[in-house]
Amino acid sequence: VFSTMPRGIRRLLRLRRTRAGTLGEIDEELTSLIDARIEALTAQGMSPADARAEAMRRLGATFDQARAQLHRSATLRHRRMRIRELFDDFWHDVRYGARGLLRRPAFTIVAVATLAIGIGATTTIFSAVNTLLLRPLPYDRPNELMLVSLEAPSVGGRPGEPVEIWSYPKAQEFRRRQTVFSDLAYYSWEPATITGGEPELTRVEHVTASYLPLLGIKPAVGRGFDRLLDDRPEVAQEVILSDALWQRRFKANRDIIGTALHLDGVPYTIVGVLPPGFLGLTGQGNLLVPVTAGTTRRLSQPQNHWLDMVARRKAGVTDAQMRVTVAQLGREINEIFLTADMSGAPWGANARPLDAVRVAPLIKQSLLILFAAVAFVLLIACTNVANLLIGRASTRHREIAVRLAIGASRGRLVRLLLAESSLLAALGACAGLAVAAIGIRALAAVDPTALRMPRFDGVGGLTLSLVTLDWTALAFAVGLTAIVGISFGLVPALQATRASLVDAMKDGGGRLGHGTSASRRILLVVEVAMALVLLASSGLMIRSLAKLLSVDPGFDARNVLTVRLTIPPRGMAQDSMPAFHSEVLARLRGLPGVKSASLSSCVPLGGGCSQTLIKFLDRDPVPEGQRPLVEVDWVTPDWFNTVGVPLRRGRGFSATDGVAAPKVVVINEASAKKFWPNADPIGKRIGLGVDDLEEGAEVIGVVGDVRQLADSSAMPAAYVSYLQSPRPTAMVFVKSTRDIATLGPEVRRALREVAPVFPIHDMQFLTERVAAATARTRFSAVLLTLFAATALSLAAMGLYGVMSLAVAARTREIGIRMALGADQRRVQRAIVGEAAALVSVGAAFGLVMATIATRALRSLLFDLTPTDPATYGAILALLAGAAIIASWLPSRRAARVDPVDALRAE
Amino acid sequence: VALLKGTLDVLVLKTLSWTAMHAFEITTWLEERSDKRIVVDDAALLQALHRMEERKLIAAEWGVTKNGRRARYYRLTTAGRAFLGSESERLVDHFDALTTVLSSKKA
Repeated sequence: VFSTMPRGIRRLLRLRRTRAGTLGEIDEELTSLIDARIEALTAQGMSPADARAEAMRRLGATFDQARAQLHRSATLRHRRMRIRELFDDFWHDVRYGARGLLRRPAFTIVAVATLAIGIGATTTIFSAVNTLLLRPLPYDRPNELMLVSLEAPSVGGRPGEPVEIWSYPKAQEFRRRQTVFSDLAYYSWEPATITGGEPELTRVEHVTASYLPLLGIKPAVGRGFDRLLDDRPEVAQEVILSDALWQRRFKANRDIIGTALHLDGVPYTIVGVLPPGFLGLTGQGNLLVPVTAGTTRRLSQPQNHWLDMVARRKAGVTDAQMRVTVAQLGREINEIFLTADMSGAPWGANARPLDAVRVAPLIKQSLLILFAAVAFVLLIACTNVANLLIGRASTRHREIAVRLAIGASRGRLVRLLLAESSLLAALGACAGLAVAAIGIRALAAVDPTALRMPRFDGVGGLTLSLVTLDWTALAFAVGLTAIVGISFGLVPALQATRASLVDAMKDGGGRLGHGTSASRRILLVVEVAMALVLLASSGLMIRSLAKLLSVDPGFDARNVLTVRLTIPPRGMAQDSMPAFHSEVLARLRGLPGVKSASLSSCVPLGGGCSQTLIKFLDRDPVPEGQRPLVEVDWVTPDWFNTVGVPLRRGRGFSATDGVAAPKVVVINEASAKKFWPNADPIGKRIGLGVDDLEEGAEVIGVVGDVRQLADSSAMPAAYVSYLQSPRPTAMVFVKSTRDIATLGPEVRRALREVAPVFPIHDMQFLTERVAAATARTRFSAVLLTLFAATALSLAAMGLYGVMSLAVAARTREIGIRMALGADQRRVQRAIVGEAAALVSVGAAFGLVMATIATRALRSLLFDLTPTDPATYGAILALLAGAAIIASWLPSRRAARVDPVDALRAE
Repeated sequence: VALLKGTLDVLVLKTLSWTAMHAFEITTWLEERSDKRIVVDDAALLQALHRMEERKLIAAEWGVTKNGRRARYYRLTTAGRAFLGSESERLVDHFDALTTVLSSKKA
């Protein structure tokens, strides 16, 4: 029977020649051949005994040998055949799977897209989390690296600063005395302009020669700085280029080594090029120059703090030993550099692992929240795929029943179903890889300066552009979706194989079995709930961002260039400062297109600068400790005008409010409201705990509020005039009518002419500073929104799938209802109503989950509680809209059912 | 006579090109056609048949002989027929060359 059966049928029934069967056939054939020869020989007249002997001789071997030989060959052949069949089966399965997928392009596209989004998004974000939070820092033996800082004590109500930077003399002293580090290096970044050829504003890292060897970074081209420089600080005008600058400005030309590069007009010899991706620990090192190059004056100023210190802990030194030693050295250094004006508590020093400060806490939090969000997306993708596969399996009950009826084994069926799921998983993985690759590129393209972490807020060198595809994350995401998808797709199929064949084949209406229908509904509820959590989170972030951007910060940042100008200690007598500042501003106002130029001690939205205690001279004195605090900023008279802060009452400062004139202050509206709720503050006398204002100053005007922080309303503030209370540090504000992009070099040159030796640094557009203040919120909001949109569309697709299958399964029922007189609208309403019920249950669960989950967002929200009713209202409306669309399409199909067709169909 | 390697396969295929036969018919046919000059060991013949069956040059089916004995009948497949065509041409050419060389006389 077996060999007469066509191969196709044999394959269909999965019947296979067994090895034992083959060997039996061989024995039979061998015997038959010998018998035939004996018969022929006896027919020729030979005696039976002779005939047998002759037949055995003609065999060519003994019977046993011949038989064993044939058996051995047959076994080998059988093994080869099995392998070939396995391979054939594999291809057959793949073709079967591909045919199945091609036959339902909509299902395939939805499933692959779902997988691609889930896998791609998870992989992207996890790659970022891994690079920024988890992976060891990309330096040599990173766990030994320490950030060594000075500690400032708390002064007059201001909290202490645990992470302070170093002056060069203090750092050198520390270096000489310390015993716990095998090596240490200082670094600091500054803006600089590459001159000669196209001028280019860039950022330069000043580093010791020990810096690169300490981190284990070797120049890709050329050499590093000579280590002897660190001990004999003779000025070496050498520069090392970053790979990016080298590629862009010098077209990766190796011959530039040894040639000159001009920085702010000073020639430096190019000695090396950094490896790709390394921009120094600050992330600002487009160029590296020795710490001793450039402004040399500060090398001898013990109170000019401008350096960060990184050190490598000696092997064998414990954490405790290190802490004790560093603290002790901090006290010693405080003693050595004690100055008359440094009253109060002593400064100290501490060391903390570089890894612990790698990323600003807010960035870390945002990333973790994004990671949670993306995990939700992955889960939703999983439920969606499971849902799709359950639907797919349930439409195949009949096919499965037929296959079982003609004798296919359960294992074989499972393999067939697996073939399709696996093919789907493979396609999804490929598409997911593509999505992840694009996502990681997009992350790297996020303007790094917009996300730049403020000083001390982590290793700036750790940026999103360093994020690389994490294959483990990809494998995990693919594995999870595959396992979830396959198990959900397989279980109902297996249940189907267990069900009565007769029932399955007979019952046309049973295509959507009760079990699978229920599990699909549960999955849908879960999916909706999770989507709602994501929607709520992103809704809150968007509302928060909108509020943040819509609040009037109180000033106009357009067309304003800012740069820090610092008079170093003992650089100038305090009395000369007003004249100097006036000269600086006069020079800047003389530049073409400059509308106004002024100074302020503080940048708006920069987090505030200094606070002091305020007292009211016309009121009873309040006990010490209960006196209110105000922000105090120094400005020149023109500043309010430069940044467009309106004068509300009284007058602003004038040039005549000088050192010798009566003391005057301007306050903001918040101060007026808080301190004089029912009175006119103009003319009132207050005392401020700064300089000589303790004795009293007259309030002459009230100006509009300027926010110190982007995410909170303005604090009470008092403004003091630079011309009356001179200060060495200032931020220069220049407002121009022309394109300020070209203004930078001119402002720098003008400042250099007036103040050739004073540090001029941190040049930025005011708009940049404002953008930086909202960058993190914007970044999180954009990504969360992306994930929420994904989640919503996945949930809508899931709903659509469930509802269209439900409609398909109930075609006959709907036909009967319509035949009995139900009108189209009623049928449609029933379908949409069913969907609404499912979505409502999901939304209810989702709301509960969301109120818990969004608590994690609290610290990221601006002026918004995590349970903001408006946000929840909006997202529920959005969800309802998506649900209606997703169920309306199948409902329309249901309403168009022709009763006659529907009843005839089965 | 010992057969050259590969020759047996072609001879068996040639035999089967007339009609389907079982093993004993094949060896008998070869002996008769070659005036007993080609005598194949039965074990070797079976090996050759099974080998060619795996290569799908021939196909096998159980049948009943004139004498009422069960025997395995082999027939040529399309692939076998094509193989026979190309191989017999190659073999004839080969023997022709051998004959030319070996029968050449000293000049």
